[in-house]
Order: sequence, then C-alpha cells, then structure tokens
Amino acid sequence: MMQFGESAPPSPPLIHLNGQALRLDLTSPEAPLHRPRPWPGFPISPKSLGSFNTASCMEQLLVHCANAIEANDATLAQQLIWVLHNIAPPDGDSNQRLTAAFLHALIARASKTGSCKMLAVAAARADADLALHTHRFSAVDLVTFVDLTPWHRFGYSAANAAIAEAVEGFPVIHIVDLSTTHCMQIPTLIDLLAGRPEGPPILRLTIPSPTATTTMPPPILDLSYDELGAKLVNFARSKNVAMEFRVIPSNPCDAFDTLIEQLRVQQLVSDGGEALIVNCQMMLHYIPDETAGAISSTMSMTSSMSLRSAFLKLLRSVEPTLVTLVDEDADFTAGDVVGRLRSAFNYLWIPYDAVDTFLPKGSEQREWYEAGVRWKIENVIAHEGLQRVERLESKGRWVQRMRAAGFRGVGFSEEAVGEVKGMLEEHSAGWGLKREEEDFVLTWKGHNVVFATAWVPS
Amino acid sequence: MPVELENSSVMTFSNSGSGEASVSSGQQQAPPPPPAPAKKKRNLPGMPDPDAEVIALSPKTLMATNRFVCEICNKGFQRDQNLQLHRRGHNLPWKLRQRTGKEARKRVYVCPEPSCVHHDPSRALGDLTGIKKHFCRKHGEKKWKCDKCSKKYAVQSDWKAHSKTCGTREYRCDCGTLFSRRDSFITHRAFCDALAEESAKSQTNNTAASAPAAPENQKAEDDGKAAPAPASPAPEKSPPPAVMPGAGSSRQLVAPPEQQREPENHPAGMLQYMPSAPPPPPSSITIGSNNSSSTTSSSGGSSSGSSTSLFASLFASASATTAAQSTTFSDLIGAMSRTDRSLAVEAPSLCLSGNGPASLFSQPPQERRPFLAPPPPPSPHMSATALLQKAAQMGVAATSSSSFLRGFGLATSAGHPEGINDGGFHWRPQQQQLEPEPTPILSAGLGLGLPYDTAAAAAAAGLPDLMMGPPPLFGPKPATLDFLGLGMGPVGGAATGGLSALITSIGGGGLDMGSGAAAAASAGRFGGGSSPGKAWEGAERKPNSPAIL
Repeated sequence: MMQFGESAPPSPPLIHLNGQALRLDLTSPEAPLHRPRPWPGFPISPKSLGSFNTASCMEQLLVHCANAIEANDATLAQQLIWVLHNIAPPDGDSNQRLTAAFLHALIARASKTGSCKMLAVAAARADADLALHTHRFSAVDLVTFVDLTPWHRFGYSAANAAIAEAVEGFPVIHIVDLSTTHCMQIPTLIDLLAGRPEGPPILRLTIPSPTATTTMPPPILDLSYDELGAKLVNFARSKNVAMEFRVIPSNPCDAFDTLIEQLRVQQLVSDGGEALIVNCQMMLHYIPDETAGAISSTMSMTSSMSLRSAFLKLLRSVEPTLVTLVDEDADFTAGDVVGRLRSAFNYLWIPYDAVDTFLPKGSEQREWYEAGVRWKIENVIAHEGLQRVERLESKGRWVQRMRAAGFRGVGFSEEAVGEVKGMLEEHSAGWGLKREEEDFVLTWKGHNVVFATAWVPS
Repeated sequence: MPVELENSSVMTFSNSGSGEASVSSGQQQAPPPPPAPAKKKRNLPGMPDPDAEVIALSPKTLMATNRFVCEICNKGFQRDQNLQLHRRGHNLPWKLRQRTGKEARKRVYVCPEPSCVHHDPSRALGDLTGIKKHFCRKHGEKKWKCDKCSKKYAVQSDWKAHSKTCGTREYRCDCGTLFSRRDSFITHRAFCDALAEESAKSQTNNTAASAPAAPENQKAEDDGKAAPAPASPAPEKSPPPAVMPGAGSSRQLVAPPEQQREPENHPAGMLQYMPSAPPPPPSSITIGSNNSSSTTSSSGGSSSGSSTSLFASLFASASATTAAQSTTFSDLIGAMSRTDRSLAVEAPSLCLSGNGPASLFSQPPQERRPFLAPPPPPSPHMSATALLQKAAQMGVAATSSSSFLRGFGLATSAGHPEGINDGGFHWRPQQQQLEPEPTPILSAGLGLGLPYDTAAAAAAAGLPDLMMGPPPLFGPKPATLDFLGLGMGPVGGAATGGLSALITSIGGGGLDMGSGAAAAASAGRFGGGSSPGKAWEGAERKPNSPAIL
C-alpha cells in the first residue's frame, strides 16, 4: 500500500481522513518538487505530479478513490478525484486516457450513491468531455473498425478455419452468429466456403436481434439487420452461395431463449444433412452468470444454475456440429468494485496501448475504439445488477463451463495457425499468437487478450 | 574491458515475489507480478517473470548502435563479442566472455521514458531488442520513409518489412478504396455499396450479351471463378448471341421485372438467395444473378423469367434467382459448374441455353422459349429438359404419367448430386430413359405446393387437366407464362390449343417444378441422393429447406 506523508506545515484536509490511515503526500521525497502546496486551489502542472504518472500509481489512486466512494467518504473521494483529474487528462498518453476513463466511470458510480452525489455533480462538469458519444457505424465503417486491430479478426480467422473444417461434406450449413460485431465475420466465411472443393454450400445465417430494452455494447449499427442481411445475401450471390438470412428477436440477458428454442425445434425436424454451427464472438459474456444472479433479486435461479450455465446446457441439447467460443480473456466478475477495477485496469490498458501504436491522436477511428473501451469501463465500474453486462470470465473458467455442459474441446488445424499468424503479420508487431493446449490466445506484448476455442458435443 | 552495464548508467532491480521493485524513479510500487505462465516461452515480450532482473537503460544507451568501439581504429560494434573478434585482427589481447548461468536470471527491460507505459516494471518488455525497438518507435524520430507510400518509420526493420509488402498486394474495391489485406477487402466488398450498384447495373444489362461479362469480370477478380470466362466461352460455344436477339425482347420484358422484384420479396426476417448456376456452362452459366439473368436470357430468358416467378412463391426468395432456381439446384447438387463447360457441350439438350444445341433450339418452333437453362448437373432438370425437348421434337402428347415419373425418378437417382462433374455424362443416359411426361412433373410440382397445385393434381389424370393447370398460375406471372410457353411475353406467344404447345407448356411447367422440386429436395437432402420422386413427395410433407417453406 502506498504511504503518503504530508510535509507541508499547513496541513491540507488531506491528512485528516475519516477513519482512514491514508495520507496523501504530494511532496514525497521522490517527487521532483518539494514545495508545499495549498490545497486545493494551487495550480499544479501535471509535470510536478510526474512522479504519479505511472500505471501502478494511477491504479492505486483509482483503487483508493473507489474505496472512498464505497465508504461514502465524499471528502476523500473528492481529493482523489482532483488528483486523478490532474494527472490523467483525457487527452494525455494512453495510460492517462485509460485512467481518465476509469475516473469518469468512478464518478458515474459515485453519482448513484448517497453522499457522493454532490461530488459527482461538481466533478461531472469537469468530465463533460468524456461523455460517451456512441458512434453509429455504417456497414463500411464497421468493416474498417473491426480491422483496426486483430482484436476481432483473430477470433474470426480462427473460427472460420474451424468452421470450414467442420462442415466438410455438409451441403447445408446453418450458422448461428452470436457476435457483437454484427456479422463482420460472415463475408470472409462466405468466401472461404464458396471456394471449398466440394462446391459452395447452401448457407443459412441466423442472428439474434436485441429487443428495445436491452443494453447492448458498442459498436452500434446505423442500419437495420434487414439491410445488413440484404447486403450479405447479395454478396453471397456474387460468390454463388445460396444464402438465407434470418433474424430472431432474442437477448443475451435472457440467455437467447427464443433463439435456442428455434434451434431446438429445427433440430427436431432436421435430417442430419445440415451442419449447425454456433459461432460465439465476444457475446457469451453478456449472458448473466452466477454473480449476476446473486445480485439480482428478481432473477429466480432454478437449482442454483445461472443463465450462463443454462444456456450452455441448452446449446448442448441442440446437438450442434461445432461451437466456436471466442471471448476476452479477463475476469470482471468480482463482487466488489475494487476487485473489478483492478482486473479491468490491468486488462483494458491493452486496447489503449495497441491503438496508440498506430493511430495518431485526434484520429476518428481511435476515438471510436476508445469510446468502445470507455463504455466497457463504465459498465463494469459504474453499474450493478443486470445493468452490468460486462461479465467477462477467464479462458480457464469458460473451458470449465463448456466441459461441464457436455462439450469436448477440439483444436485448430495447422492451416488455422497459418491463417491466424498471417493475419497477425499484417498488424503491429506487438500482437502474437499463443497456443495453450488446443486453444488459441491472442497476445499483445505477451499479455493475453482474446482466446479462441472450438467445441463439439462430447 | 569495459563493462557495458556500468558505463551506461543502468540501474538494476530485481522483482521479488511480492513485486516490491524500486524503480529508478523511486516509486514504491508493488504491482502484482504477472503469473508465470505454465509453459514459458523464451523472450516472451511484456510478460516479466517475477524473478527476472529489471534493467533500465538510459535513452542514450538504448539508441546507441555501436557501443563497443575498438581503441585502435575506432570502429564501432553492436556487440561486445564482435568487438573482441575484431580485436584479434589487431593482434590485441581479446577475450570472449563466457555465458554465465543466466538461465535462472531472465532480464526484462523498462523504457527510460517516464511517461511511457512500459516504464513500469509490470509492463516491462522481455528482450533488449524489443525495448530498443519500442523506444525507437514510440519516442524516437522517424527517420525511415517508404518511397512508395508516405509512411515513416523509426525502426529500420519495420521500414524494411513494410517496403516488402507495400504495393505488392493490393486489392481495389470498385468504390476506389485500396486494401493491403485480403480479409479486409472481402469484408469491405460485402458491405460496400459498390457491390449493390453493380448488381443492379448488371441486371439491367442483361440484354447485352457482352455486358454481363464486364461486371462479372470486376466482381470475380480475386476468386478465381472464371467469371469472365463463362461469358467469353459463351459466344464461342453456343449461339447464345444468336439466340439472344430473338429472345432479347422477351428477356427484356421478363428479366428486369424479375430482377426488380427481388428486393421486394423479403419475407419478414428472412432473406434468401438461391444463386444461379455456376459460371461454366456457357449458356447456363450464371454468376450471381446478373449473369444468370444474362445467360438464361441468352438461352431463352423467358424461361428464367418464368421459372423465377414460379419459384418466387416456392422459395419466397427475391432474386434473379429465377434462372437461379434451376441453377441453384445444380449448385445444390454440387455441380460445380466450373467444370461444366464440357458438360454443356456434352449434353446439348440439357443446356438449353443454347450451347451448341442449335438443334435443340431449332426443333421447337419456339426456340427462344423458355427452356430453363438448367445448370448442367441436375438430372431432374435434365430429365425435364430432355423431356421438353423430346416433347417438342416429337410433338408427342404426354404419355402416361407413370412413365414420366419413372423416367424422372430414374433420371434423378442417376443424377446423384455428388457426381456433379459427371453430371453431364449422366444426363445422356437419362435423357434416353426419360419419356417426356409432363404430367407427373406437374403433380410432383404440386407436391411442392405450387399454386397450380390443385390444377396439376387434377391434371395428373390427363392432359386436358394439365392444360387447365398452368394458365391460372401463370396468369399473374408473366414470366411464368413465358416459361411455360403460354406465351405471356413476346416469346412463345399464347399457348394455343396445339398439342405441341400444350406439351411444351407442360414440359416447361414440369421443368419448373422439376427444378423447383429438385432444388427443394436437394436443399433438404443434399448428398442423400434421394430419388426425385421421393424428394417431391417429401417436399410437400416437410420443409426440407427453408426455401420450400
């Protein structure tokens, strides 16, 4: 724990903390400047706070701030917010922007709790520039967006390779695409299937469409699914692939019950000539897990099974040919906000760092990307209950779940490895592919980012 | 011998298990050490081992390229070992340092730039080259510039890597955007408006024999499908051009309305496209709807038109699938038409689209008639086509339905989907087997729930009923009429009471249904090789494919 000692004689309120042994020392020996600063009006340039400008320092400050908010300590919280606001301008470097996003989320959280409301109002003014402008993507813009980094394309390539292999010999292929990126994977899949030796298949694509009340993460599409589907069908036609596009209103917060029901009915009358592929790209973590159930009082848990486990079991019951499960490798399910903050901070620095390497400041695309990350941060920090939809679980946990639901992991072929590696080559050098047993993991400078797995009923 | 570390003002820290590293800036930070991976790869960047030695080099040291200088000639070297070897040349005493037991002590490097994210030990990078490159990239000036494009790089190896690929692989979308990566290009293409416009354009260009080739050329640039090829062989292989003029008018009437209807036929939440036959068979080659329209038109577009309308209800699909319908079937069957050129040649009767089969076309007075340009493989089509042809040739009244069905059944079973490439060969024998028997086709089609269901059912008993059957169906759908030869468009004229006309119409209808049924059947039973008869019956019972339903 960081110890801060106050050396200036006129002790600012900082040292008088309610029940907290924490003292904020802005003039620690290590700091380049050792002059007393009257609190709080004294203008302090970010430079003098340079000693704070490290990731771990910022993380600590954020943690303290979160604790203060949870403890309803408005004074301390305000102080910490002030410091954080100064050391982490929203237009700073990637670390600073990351911290600013967390700060914004903490303030949003504070605004919902008791005595911190006033504080939030005051601080919110300062944070107006961080307001989330949710960009609505046209189809073409979304294509550019998903290709900015391998974050999404990694999962697409791995899944496509696995799918192409699994559907060999099937004339009809039914893809159920549970993805947050609105079918961006599908064109390359169509292209892959169109060129297969036994000829293009008949392709059926089913996607869920969230109903109006559901909170869905960015990216948000600017066109309807019907329009999107029309383009896909048209594209498929150009590749001689017969395609059917179907939209089923269904929500992750309901574990896609309506969609699963459709699948079950269809499978009852299926004759086995159709391959059923369920392609999950970063979507399953939006299905409430046990922690969501514990928090919400309205959810009735039958036999202590969460919606997430129930979904997987139902998925198993429709006997899919292949399930591809791609998701972000982090754990955001801690019950306390501080735990979640730590996990999120130590994971979400990655997208900030990655876009920093190749997109300049002020780039619109970078703004989209970071807005997406800010959405995630705000959701995991500021929301609770069913509104908190970003319930990421680590790869190990997902593997456990799939096995418990009756699936067996299958690996990826060497071709898939080649595909993914080739794709990564085209991006910044910091991206890598790690193989853990039979799974793929996308790494950024060695840290796990996204995992890709493939499953068949066992 | 200078010890590089000392001269470079390096501070070495060790990360203990609890992460109490004291970094040069003096922060008392204890970032949680990243968990050591179970399978450690060497030099894993950014994943510092808790036991690793954290090394912070100064910017000067990091950027210095030749840190080891020979005292005699002042030549600089990047590595001490190289300097030592060089010293041998001066007959100076040299000593190669032995590798110490360094396995246990992995080194990780932090970036000297304090504001950098990698300045923190928890985000250190695993190897010296990595941190050097990082520092140079992020904090160094970009001295290397690509000549082809304007990209600048601070690290020479990045620049080299880029120059290798710059401009070598470029994908250009019709909208003008350039891509260096194929997957981005493909995804973009799928959603780019340029593709939609192109489809719309080619549809209206159906009438021009050569027009379809152009858009197709652009479209199929990277998928090796001989998009242009089909168009080009077409003229040489068969007289589509010859046919087309005649059929042109009808085509024009038929095709555009059909095409335009496509976008409207979207059942709520369901879009379908049943593609037309694959390119190869010149006459029946259809690349996408565009080509299909064009090729089918060339072969007698009205047929495609009519088939479209027939199938429109069947498949609830909006698209130039008309011609596509038949081709779809072949697709379904797996006729990868690319190789079907030979097929087309081999089975002239099948390829109504006028491959070579001048005879085929010449026989029936209504040559431009709506012979559905069946994609080579589908045997049902074949049988239907053959049937039609025979009927036309012989001017024979439909024989017993049973024989037709049998014939058809034979044809279908023979024409196993898998044997697409051999489809052509299959067709021939089948042709002979089949006796033109439109009636059963109609009834089978009925099984599919075609509008003229009841009429056809009644017609099963005999021709007269058949005669009644089709017209109502075709009334509302001009294309259909055309196809059936009921003369909705300029082609074919009104079906008069002539027997041949009747037969033709029936055959046409049968063809339609045949293809539709076959398509439906194949959709549901791909690879099953079920007999067409069964497929038809099955089709009415159960939704083999969503198309049917």
